[in-house]
Parts: sequence; C-alpha cells; structure tokens
Amino acid sequence: MRRKPIWTTMFTVVLAVCLCSLALPLWAEDGVTDTEVVIGAGLDLTGAVANWGVNIKAGMEAMFNRVNEAGGVHGRKIKLVAYDHVYQPPKAVANAKRLVERDKVFIMMGHLGTPTTKAIKDYLEEKQIPNVFPATNASLWTISGKWHIGDLATFADQTRLIVDYLVNERKFTKIASFYQDDEYGLDGHVAGRVRLKELGKEYVAEVDYKRADIDFSSQAAKLKESGAEAVILQAVYREPARLAEQCHAIGYNPLFIGVSAIVLDKTIELGGKHVEGVVGVQVYPNPDEPGPFLDQYRADMKKYFPNLALDTTNLYGYQKAALFVEVLQRTGRNLTHDSLLQTITTIRDWDPGWGLKYTYGGDDRRGMCRSARLVTVKDGKWTKLSDWFELAEMRRQ
Amino acid sequence: MLETLTSQVVSGLATGCIYAMVALGFVLIFKATDVVNFAQGEFIMASGFMSYTLLIWYGLPYWLVLVLTIPLSGIMGVVLERIVVRPILDAPIFSIVIATIGASTVMRSSTGIVYGYDVLPLPTFFSKDPIHLGILSFTRMDVGVIGSSLLIMAVLYVFFQYTKTGTAMRATAQSQIAARLMGVSVHRIFSVTWAISAGISGIAGVLIAPIIYLDPNLGIIGVKAFAGAVLGGFGNIPGAIVGGMLLGVLENLSGYFFNAGIKQISTYILLILVLIVKPSGLFGAAAIRKV
Repeated sequence: MRRKPIWTTMFTVVLAVCLCSLALPLWAEDGVTDTEVVIGAGLDLTGAVANWGVNIKAGMEAMFNRVNEAGGVHGRKIKLVAYDHVYQPPKAVANAKRLVERDKVFIMMGHLGTPTTKAIKDYLEEKQIPNVFPATNASLWTISGKWHIGDLATFADQTRLIVDYLVNERKFTKIASFYQDDEYGLDGHVAGRVRLKELGKEYVAEVDYKRADIDFSSQAAKLKESGAEAVILQAVYREPARLAEQCHAIGYNPLFIGVSAIVLDKTIELGGKHVEGVVGVQVYPNPDEPGPFLDQYRADMKKYFPNLALDTTNLYGYQKAALFVEVLQRTGRNLTHDSLLQTITTIRDWDPGWGLKYTYGGDDRRGMCRSARLVTVKDGKWTKLSDWFELAEMRRQ
Repeated sequence: MLETLTSQVVSGLATGCIYAMVALGFVLIFKATDVVNFAQGEFIMASGFMSYTLLIWYGLPYWLVLVLTIPLSGIMGVVLERIVVRPILDAPIFSIVIATIGASTVMRSSTGIVYGYDVLPLPTFFSKDPIHLGILSFTRMDVGVIGSSLLIMAVLYVFFQYTKTGTAMRATAQSQIAARLMGVSVHRIFSVTWAISAGISGIAGVLIAPIIYLDPNLGIIGVKAFAGAVLGGFGNIPGAIVGGMLLGVLENLSGYFFNAGIKQISTYILLILVLIVKPSGLFGAAAIRKV
C-alpha cells in the first residue's frame, strides 16, 4: 500500500485542531465554566486588620449567596475563594499564587490592604489576572493600567478634601500628618503635602508609625511639640483611638481628621470618649441609612450572617459585590478578562440604589464612585457634617 | 521639652513594667526547670481574654475580675506544665522549646476561634486622664501599672526570701538533685513555679489589655519581654526587671528622637550591643555549664 505523504497528515492534524478550538466555548478562561465563575480574594482574617477582612468577606458573600440562590448571573453561580494573608505582603504573594495557579480563579476581587495588594501587583500583571475592586482606596490603582480597577474615592483625593476643609473652612495654619509608614499611609500623606504646597503651606510635623504598632506616646509628644491644630490620620481603626488617648493624656487636644479607613464603628468602640469630635471622610453611606440598596443589604446580612452586626466594613464588601454582579450582568454569557474589563469602562452614572453613582471610562480607568462627605463622631456615632459632593481629582503621585 | 521628656520616660517605664513582669515569668520558669517557655506571651493574651469573659460576659465587678484572673492564670500555667512539658521533661531541650511554641500557637488559634480575631476594648481600673506634677506629666494608668508591678515584685521578693516554698524554689533552681535529697518535692516545685509565672503574666494581661486593646495576637509582646530578659541576663531576676524597664524607656525615647522605624529596631540594637560587650547580659553571671 502506498503511504500518504507527510503533508497530508500534517494538514489533517492542523484542521482537527482548528475545528476543536472552534467547538470550545468562547469563555475558555480559567475560573469560568458554563455554570460557575470562581473569583479569588486575599484578606486579613486573623491579623492586625482582621475586622476588615472578616467583614468584607461576609459582605461579599451575603450578596453572592442571594444572587446564587436566584440562579446566578447568566446561569453562572459566583464562587468566592478567600485566603488569610494576615495583612502581611509575603503571605499575600503566596496566597495569590495559590489562587491563580491552583484554584484557577478568573479574577482577584476585593483583595484587602494597600501594601498587601501592591505586593501582588506585578504577579497579577504577569499572569494577566484582573485586580478588580481591591479593598484599598489607594490612588495606585488609578495609575497602574489595564489590570487594576478601583471602586471608591482614593485616599489621595480624600486627603485633598481634608486639607481644603482645614485650610479654607477651619482656617487652620498648623497641620500635621500621622501616617502608616507603607504604601497605604504614604498615599494620602504625600497627597496632603502636595495640596498644602499648592496652598502655600507645609506640614508642621510628619509623624509615622509601623503596621501593628501599639504604643504612640512618642508620636503624641512630637505632635504636641509641633503645636499642630489638626492632625491628619492616614491610619486604620486601632490607631486613632490609641493616639487620641495618648495625646489627651499629655494635655494635647488637636482636631483629628482622617481618611475613610478610620470611619468605622470599631474606631468608636475602641476610643470611646477620646474619639468624640474626630472627623472623617466617608465615601459611602452608613449601614443604617434609608434607601432600597441598603434595605436589601440589611435583609441579606440578616439572612446569611445573622450573628454579624451591620457595619461599615461589611457594607464595604457588599457594595463591591453588588458592583461586580452588575458588571457580570452587563457582560453577558461571553465572559473573558477582556470583555469584563471592557464592560467596566462602559459604566456611567450607575446607582445601586443609595443615591451615589459609579462612573468609569477614559484611558486610565479613572472615574469610579467619586462621592464623599465629612462625618464626625458625635455622642458615640458617626454623624453627618456635610452633604455628599463629588471629589476633585488629586494629581497622581 | 523637659516635661515631654519626663512624660516619655514615665510612660516608657509603665510599658517597661509590663515587659519586666513577662520577663520575670520567663526567668522564673527557666531558673527552676531549665525550660524556656515560649508560650509566656500567650499567658498574657489568655489572661486578658479571661478577664474580658468575666467582666463583659459575666458582668463581674473589676476588682473581683482581677482577684479571679490571677489564680485562673496560675491554674492555666500548671495545666500547661502537666500536659505539655512534664511528659517530655527528659527529652532534649529543643523538643521542649518546640512544644512550648506549639502550645502558644494552639492557645492563640483556639482563642481566635472562640472570640474571633477582632480587636476588643477592655475597661480599665485606672483612669487615663492626665496628672501634672511640676515637670512630671503622667496618667493614673501609668502610676497604676508601675505601682502594681512594683508591689508584685516586692511580694515575690518576700515570698522567695521568707517562705518555705520560696526557699525550696530557690534550692531547686540551684540544684535539683540536692533539693530532692533535702526532701523537696521537685515536681511540686515545678508546678508552683509555672503557676506563679503564669499568675504574674495574668496580672500583666489584666493591666495591659485595656491599654493596647485585646486581640489573639497580643502575645507578641512576649518577644519584647524575652529580649528584656536576655538584656538583663537570662536567669537573673533583678536583671529581667531592669532589662524589661530599660526596653520600655528606650523604645519611647528612640521613637521620640527618631522615627517609628528606629523605635522598632532600637530594642534589638541595644540587645546586640550589650551582648557584644557582656555576653551574659547586664546582670548575668558568666555562664558555667552544668556537667
């Protein structure tokens, strides 16, 4: 028998491969099947900011559970795989590799912490995994290109608001900064310095602390000596309480004012009377405010996490999940990294039902929800100090 | 300036007293049993949670909580010694050290499972309002912590010098064989030592938890206290106290004169410097190995 020429065999193989690839579904990305979309998150569940991690996870799951029970989005149920990074960058990297390479997640979603998310930034870019709505409002995510997309007003923009409020409305001339010495704290700290310079001023003191520090007596002493009338806090929830207490202990009572990361019920629970009068920037409403979106949030939290108190932290996770569900809905069945990222840029003035709007678009994927207002601790509760307004954009650092 | 400095020293002393008490816990166990207990920091954490439970869950008055937490912590120490250390007392020292590290992880994780990893506030016996006395500026809290620590140290001194059990403990620390020959029940002494050591940590826990808030990772303070104990000369009781206090003051002053980064490493820089000049620590005697 005469043997077939080699080129005929090769042609057959190539044709077979082409036909097979045509038969594959279009959403042949890791983490996406006909019935499921798997997303990953690195959170702090047992470390210094575990209050955030535990609540963000619960908030996201409350939304996903309800959506899944109703059949998912376009027939796909959402599965969240979350690991504990203890707010430590090296562990965050290990978790990210585990999520991407073993669990084959479609995207990283709601990854907690600025230093921890920055640690996995290059890895996600290398693997081309979108970093969607990380739980950090650092301005880093607005300048890092295609793979990173934030959701709320950045710490830099919030600090600009704080500086303008202190200088223009309160007429303060001596302003100090108390910041966490890492990517998180430096974001707002540097933005504040730039804004002050634009207004012809500078910080009278720049005092740092390390993550998980527990004693701030030396910082309090330095702030007191600077004579600052206001101290801008680029901190989380443990520090404002402890710093205020230690400042009061040495007879120093400045105005403490901080970015959204301090506007937590935990800050008040820990600080008690020492945090009365503390001012913060809020970038989404309180959990007990009216509105259909917040009604739904309260109902979902009560149903799926009845033992967890309604809190700004779980609402933070819940709004991320709501935004993600909206994006999935708009993207349709053809779910790929490109289609997902493309859909996000088309979001204009989307209001989940609480009066604030999300807008994306533009080459740098700037936009998101830029609403903010000032709140203050009054009688042990975060109370409105101003109405909502749109934040001006701070020049990126 | 002078007032700020003195207030830094006083609040550093208050933190240092806590380090000193934990360091004392390390040294007591080491002297009597040759074991370095790396779960010492977790004793503080567990005692903090005990007081939280009694105070918040059961609503007991603060003074009663303080009175109850000390013996409860002592019992915890005895239980740990019986379950974890005594069965492997003849094993190499490394095995015992690893066992205590394992115990610390178990304690931390089980506390997290029961109470969650959230940071919890704990009310305090002492007010945090400021007091000014000439150039001195401090809080009642500082005075309370320093006073309580000094009182405990005085009580311990009397106990070791003038009671039968205290004398037996000193004898055991010097020579277990000789103590046994003199009719001392060495095993009982071990239990008493662990109880006292955990009891002191219990007091430290009740004092410090309201200051730095309560969470399952509170035991990390044990690392600083260990450094304090080594600084003073590991195995030396006055050394542990002075070492702990020195660290508290040094941390505050370095944070004040430099920044948070220097504050964080100042403890270990001093430790290394002291060990280079005097390897046995500030108060330690030259090491003589038992053969």
